[in-house]
Amino acid sequence: MTIDPVWMPLRELAGHVRARRVSPVDLAEIFLARLEKIGPRYNAVVTVTRARALAEARRAEQEIAAGRYRGPLHGIPYGAKDLLATGGGIPTSWGAAPFKGQQLAEDATVIQRLSAAGAVLCAKLAMIELAGGMGYRQPNASFTGPVTTPWSREAWSGGSSSGSGAAVSAGLVPFAIGSETWGSILSPSGNCGITGLRPTYGRVSRHGAMALCWTLDKLGPMALTADDCGLVLEAIAGVDPSDPTTSARPYRYAVEDGPRRFRFGVLAGALDGVSEDMLAAYRRSLDLLRELGTVEDTALPDLPWEAAVRIILQGEAASAFDEFIESGGVAGLTAPEDHFMPYARDAVLAKDYVKATRVRGVMAREIDRIFERFDVLVAPGRLTVATPLDQEFRGGMRGTSRDIMGAVGNGAGLPGLIVPNGFGERGLPTSLQLMGRAWEENTLLAAGRAIQARSDWHTKHPALED
Amino acid sequence: MTDREAAPAEVDALLALVTARYGARLNAAQLDGLRRAIEAVVDQARAVRAVRLGNADEPTPPFRAYRGDERPTA
Repeated sequence: MTIDPVWMPLRELAGHVRARRVSPVDLAEIFLARLEKIGPRYNAVVTVTRARALAEARRAEQEIAAGRYRGPLHGIPYGAKDLLATGGGIPTSWGAAPFKGQQLAEDATVIQRLSAAGAVLCAKLAMIELAGGMGYRQPNASFTGPVTTPWSREAWSGGSSSGSGAAVSAGLVPFAIGSETWGSILSPSGNCGITGLRPTYGRVSRHGAMALCWTLDKLGPMALTADDCGLVLEAIAGVDPSDPTTSARPYRYAVEDGPRRFRFGVLAGALDGVSEDMLAAYRRSLDLLRELGTVEDTALPDLPWEAAVRIILQGEAASAFDEFIESGGVAGLTAPEDHFMPYARDAVLAKDYVKATRVRGVMAREIDRIFERFDVLVAPGRLTVATPLDQEFRGGMRGTSRDIMGAVGNGAGLPGLIVPNGFGERGLPTSLQLMGRAWEENTLLAAGRAIQARSDWHTKHPALED
Repeated sequence: MTDREAAPAEVDALLALVTARYGARLNAAQLDGLRRAIEAVVDQARAVRAVRLGNADEPTPPFRAYRGDERPTA
């Protein structure tokens, strides 16, 4: 093999696979070896799925040789957050010690769709226990240990799709699947300096994914570029009879070749609590965005958006894990705060939960009205660069900071994209987040591609220590 | 009772409910943490209760009647 597939964007890698300049089996072997050797440095991997990967890679190789090319993911290795069910004896741990070794009967719909696209599952990736739904507030909240960003062994990868972020960043897989209830794709993508896409609620089936909050959970791609995310989204999107929340709206990833002007908006409050280094990178990004279109401030009505979404999250998470919490199973979790925080959710009253879902309706209408005037809302990707491993993190989900973009984006089920945009304190990646109108992933991806065509932050990769 | 006075009373009442259910499992430090967590729950609930909504402002997503032979159409 004469090409180096590590950190190669998917479209380029797919071109080599299709032209048979690189074999899917060789690709699988390269990434399996990296997962096995480098993955443990970051606590990024729960299970390397070697036997399945090689079987899928051999099948891909035979099909491509026979002229049956399935598309740009055919023969491409990937990793899945360990909340996605896998059959065939591959355990699904949900990041939690009490569920370690859990065997589920069949693959999640997303895994099935990636298999149908010819992708090669190489690993189940580490995550915050129960997707962070029990109230964790520091990085050591997985039975596999805290995942570190490949940019520093002393800083957190973010969560809850922790291993998905670290594995893509370290070049252990070309892309990964993560999930987001509130921040769980954007946080690790930002901390690890990669590109992550949170699709519109209902775009991607959650069948076979651990349920944390039925009305908030989304699955999406984490990869090197916006273009990569589009290619993966097309493979996993679509209606699924097994997930009644999925939409019948068809999705095709549209790569527009012509120039386009964007109307960018900045929500009032979106900069509250953001660190100076993140703000500096954000201001530089605004200069770039002004080359792509207009940038104007806007505002939502001053209502308790974060509080409403927290009530919904806490109420649904408490119900989703009702038996586990009632039985005292939380005592077996890793984070000390997860041993008692779930009990506080009994204090969420039914009337308050219903009121929060009604406020959510107002939120959805108000933000949609704003999108009549803007294509994309932008903000710093996170409040800070990656948190040191021994410190608590801040965030809107915890209630320790404002997070208007996270609350509205997740509360209203809107798509979000995060791209790297520089480096801040301790040499750690900074990021820019973009939010679009419901079902406008292609607009977000077009903006992401335009940004990445005019910058090179997405081509920077960590120096991996031995 | 003013709104400001009511919050601690609400926290106390809810804490009593939760500790009645689970208190035997928790040590003193965890009970302290539980109180702070319930204070946060009460704070966010009071913020949401203060929002004025109309009678027709429905929960989102709305409930839909179920038929096993229907496929999602949204």
